[in-house]
Amino acid sequence: MSIQFVTREIGSLAKPSWRVKTFAGRPLEDNDVAEAERWGKRLEVDGYEELVEGLGRGTLERSEIDDWAAVYALRLLERAGIDVVYDGEQRRTEMYDHVAAHARGFEPRGTVRSFDNKYYAKAAVVEQPSVTGSQDVDEFRFVRDHTDRIVKVPLTGAYTMVDWSYDEHYSREGALGASAERRYDARRRFVADVAEHVIRPNVEGLVNTDAQWIQIDEPAATTKPDEVPLVVLGFNAATKGIGPEVKKSMHICFSDYSALWPHVLELEDCLELQLEFANRDSRELGTRDEDRPGYRDTLRLFKEHGYPDVGLGVLDIHSDFVEPSALVRDRILYAVKTLDDPGRIQINPDCGLRTRSWEVVYEKLINMVEGTRLAEEVLNRTSAAAARA
Amino acid sequence: MTEQLESDFRELVSVQEQAGLDPLSDGMLGAQDLFRPLAEAAEGLEARPLTRFLDTNTFYRAVLVDGEPRLRKPLPPPDLPGGRWVGTLPSPYAFARAADGRVSAGALAANVLAPQIEAWSEAGCALIVLAEPFLAREGEAGEALAPLTKLPQSVPLALQLVFGDASRLLDELAEAPIAAVGVDFYLTPADALPEDYPKEILAGVVDARSSALEDPDVITRFVEELVPRRPSGISLVPNGDLQFVSEKIAREKLVRLGRARQTIGEAVSA
Repeated sequence: MSIQFVTREIGSLAKPSWRVKTFAGRPLEDNDVAEAERWGKRLEVDGYEELVEGLGRGTLERSEIDDWAAVYALRLLERAGIDVVYDGEQRRTEMYDHVAAHARGFEPRGTVRSFDNKYYAKAAVVEQPSVTGSQDVDEFRFVRDHTDRIVKVPLTGAYTMVDWSYDEHYSREGALGASAERRYDARRRFVADVAEHVIRPNVEGLVNTDAQWIQIDEPAATTKPDEVPLVVLGFNAATKGIGPEVKKSMHICFSDYSALWPHVLELEDCLELQLEFANRDSRELGTRDEDRPGYRDTLRLFKEHGYPDVGLGVLDIHSDFVEPSALVRDRILYAVKTLDDPGRIQINPDCGLRTRSWEVVYEKLINMVEGTRLAEEVLNRTSAAAARA
Repeated sequence: MTEQLESDFRELVSVQEQAGLDPLSDGMLGAQDLFRPLAEAAEGLEARPLTRFLDTNTFYRAVLVDGEPRLRKPLPPPDLPGGRWVGTLPSPYAFARAADGRVSAGALAANVLAPQIEAWSEAGCALIVLAEPFLAREGEAGEALAPLTKLPQSVPLALQLVFGDASRLLDELAEAPIAAVGVDFYLTPADALPEDYPKEILAGVVDARSSALEDPDVITRFVEELVPRRPSGISLVPNGDLQFVSEKIAREKLVRLGRARQTIGEAVSA
């Protein structure tokens, strides 16, 4: 049987300027409308002229603009050849605020720096968090109805919501000089409550609407290595009761992956960990250990422990460097060689691509798909030659 | 320095002065992360892969090495009164850790940090804080101590153990060529501080990762637990950079730190 990898995105794409400005209440300029037209033509978006005309006249409702942004994002991924898609999270502010602003129990506490000069809005939990319904069902329905590809729904994980929030509820009293046990217990209760009362209702609503794949995003997973068991607790609690017919996976990035094992062996029915690798790798070609420093040590952990499978990040999402398809090919071939099991590997960017322009993203994704096909050719040729010998 | 940066800097200094803090800090407002200014000012180093800091939702650019590291030109001193300002640099161990072991902490201490410290010393720096975000979590004190011997002693040095339990390190750090040790007392129990400790303690009593505002009375009571252990001195500080809370909260935390210091009196500084 021939080897064929599945290519996926991870989640976010940049929002088009016409979407950003509309929601910010700023006037559109001619070049914003021209961008909508250019990408509409390039991606062959059905009826894009309607969007262009509506933007030009200022007659579109925000909800219509959100719909168009989602369709454009879907078409970008499809035209690039991606097998598993979503809408680039076009309707979401960003992964943290999208959840915190919807849930009860969080209050905004201003903006803080994340990296370089990028900032994000941060909230404090002030009471047990909860939601009144599934947050992303309408978003999912729209995606499902506008693509024939496999759909994977990205959701921010409970642990990351906890780690990126201030805690003014669970550890409110006696923080100065508190014991480690008391601190840990406060974190555990916080994670369990978010998983059970915020994330799981959303998961259940999505699954009841026939979502087939839930991706839990936990970029904060190893920020406190002794709390990795809480990441596992959050995943298991958020997906509790969801049957094996629904794929469940976890995305982690820019983290110390050595802290994940053995704890992630306790993840229940987790298809794979989609990880960032390319960011820490060389840009030279080659499939030797020394050619692939960004992949070597972590893939050995996957090999050693045998669970879960790996979503192989092959695109650096924090650089405009467009990975040549041959580089993608070599990263995949190296992973196959290290794991000695191509069935455990699927292909994705390191993370969501929202910090890159669509121009760069499109080129990167096209090369990712092309590099994946190149790797398949090499592996299938080798396999066929071995069978003949 | 851009106009906005200059304005923010003046505002920050004003807040510190109103809170009675001394020495003053420039808040590293112009630094993208702890390592990047020095990495960019040195030959043989390059800041590139984005890497998540343990324990905070922030990132730094990991340091790549393509030659013998050497400081080309020292970072300029902040525009603060001579003898009354504190400078912050990465500790040699942390710097090497940010380079993922591609260069030794000793080489970074001797060729990059030492000339930088000398330059700031000549510019009137009163104290240099060597920020150390890794050691309390994963390293041995011995690994961090050796490279410290390569640093000049022309200005007092403090090793600040950011966001970590310092308990297991304090004994060995008593022998280090530093004047002070910064301890996060949100993660380190008070009784972990050995009695008659020979170094000044920069007591992290304001939680830089929490939006909750500290009660000055609680800080005061906690410091009263530390005083009987008789370290060579106690200064009150945040347990890490206040960049992890919004500007409004950071400002209020500094005010409360100043209030606690005033309540406690001359036994401690802030």
